[in-house]
Amino acid sequence: MNRRSRGPTVQRFTLAQRVEHFFLILSFNILAFTGLPQKYFYTGWAERIIRLMGGIETTRLIHRTFAVLLILQSLYHIGAVLAARRAGRERGAMGLGFTDFRNVLLDMAYLAGLRREKPSFGRYDYRQKFEYWAVVWGTAIMATTGLIMWFPELLARLVPGVLVPAARVAHGGEAILAIVAVIIWHFYNAHFRPDIFPMDPAMFTGRMEVERLRHEHAEEYVRLMETGDLVPEAVSPPEVEPARPATPSPSEDQNSSS
Amino acid sequence: MGRLPLLFVSLTAFAVLLLAGAAAAQEDETCLSCHAAEGLVLTLPSRESLPVTIDPKIFKQSVHGSVLTCATCHPNNTQYPHPKVAAKTLRDYKVARAEICRTCHSDVAKEFAGSIHGRALVMGFPDVPSCTSCHGAHDVVQASTPAFRNNTPQLCGTCHGDPRIMAKYGLRPVYEAYIREFHGVTTTLYKLTKPYSPTPAAICYDCHGVHNIKDTNDPAALVAAGNILTTCRKCHPTAGRLFASAWTEHATPGPQASPLVYYVQVFYRLLIPSVLGFLVMLSVLDLGRWAGDRLKGLRG
Repeated sequence: MNRRSRGPTVQRFTLAQRVEHFFLILSFNILAFTGLPQKYFYTGWAERIIRLMGGIETTRLIHRTFAVLLILQSLYHIGAVLAARRAGRERGAMGLGFTDFRNVLLDMAYLAGLRREKPSFGRYDYRQKFEYWAVVWGTAIMATTGLIMWFPELLARLVPGVLVPAARVAHGGEAILAIVAVIIWHFYNAHFRPDIFPMDPAMFTGRMEVERLRHEHAEEYVRLMETGDLVPEAVSPPEVEPARPATPSPSEDQNSSS
Repeated sequence: MGRLPLLFVSLTAFAVLLLAGAAAAQEDETCLSCHAAEGLVLTLPSRESLPVTIDPKIFKQSVHGSVLTCATCHPNNTQYPHPKVAAKTLRDYKVARAEICRTCHSDVAKEFAGSIHGRALVMGFPDVPSCTSCHGAHDVVQASTPAFRNNTPQLCGTCHGDPRIMAKYGLRPVYEAYIREFHGVTTTLYKLTKPYSPTPAAICYDCHGVHNIKDTNDPAALVAAGNILTTCRKCHPTAGRLFASAWTEHATPGPQASPLVYYVQVFYRLLIPSVLGFLVMLSVLDLGRWAGDRLKGLRG
């Protein structure tokens, strides 16, 4: 298991992105903790949790407070992506394309032992991209349906009120989908996968070993080598912005910083 | 000797004047000397049994406990043996007893007589509630307490949650659907976690009325199409004009009733297991490949 040994590393996430992730953990967990007992209000455990929080009004207050936090965070995220685009930096590498869907099939074939070679992935593999877009989709649905339930009187000035009970059903369904996806998909890929157990440190240190990058994000590795952003021998200092290419290209972006 | 009866009479008068309450209590004591005994039942001609045991504690704690005596509501039974009960069935007995309530609660009785329950009661339908069905007899509690408010859906639900009873009158059982609605969730949680606070969410009587409940098809009903928005605005004063369509009428969503809600439900019922299955499959494949490689010695 020398994957996690102190080899040279590359930056994967900026500090701002890691802070974003931290707030996402915080809001997601508190929203789930205060939301699930509202969905399953007729169970004993829901009653105990709501009692613990001092009743349904307080539970809703906490839920809505962290919902506002999540919405603000999402707006910040959209702003950051747009700002990066405007500045000409390609921030994401999160765009979904035909190759991602092809990679799913190729990877499944590889995992099932039908193919010898693992498909090579870019900066983010299809698992990470799907999860990212699941968060985008989920947050959009949850925020919209949540606001509908929060301000039904206002909504019904503009659109039919039947959206309120529909929003309530969607809010509950989407919540279960998100929680289930995180427990299975995210926990497996970022925690329980045997070679990274107990957790993938990349999101917290912001860095990944070059060796691991070469295995798991081969295309990104090749790209960084080609642009000269990656010097395999260099032992990167933990938090300092690593060596940049000679040309003043869009290097502040996490995409091209090594 | 001649002065003794006079003394007795004046002492009695004195006691009555000063201790009228105690005298009433004394009178109740007389009744309770028999009626406090457990398991007393009266068998009616219908062979139904009417329990006539009174728990003095429960009566004392009831809203009438400190203001009424046994004889207030049972004036014919002040002598023993009591006159024969005229009612043939338990139902007849209860309907007849409601007349006694009317002596004090005449305004409510008048209101009730015009309601769907009151009219059906006069028509003789056997399941229709009379006073004691909802308020109890010797255990009447203050209807304005949070406990009574929070328990109202269960109270109405004893009939309106029972498909067997509802079917007789061409009605749908609505209790379950109410409990699952937004209002019902809040009310249930108040009942469970804050029994001493009245639920702020609408309960049965907030929308349907109390003793003046009308048939929902009656244009005068508070929930009739022409009145429902006004009724909503009692709690939602800023509700827009399309607000009332948020109401799913205590119906379980289906292709006909609230199709949008139903199809959203169906969408998630399909989406969740599909996504779940796909993610589990990928994770199991990944784990399998890892284990396989390890066995072959390809990995550390």
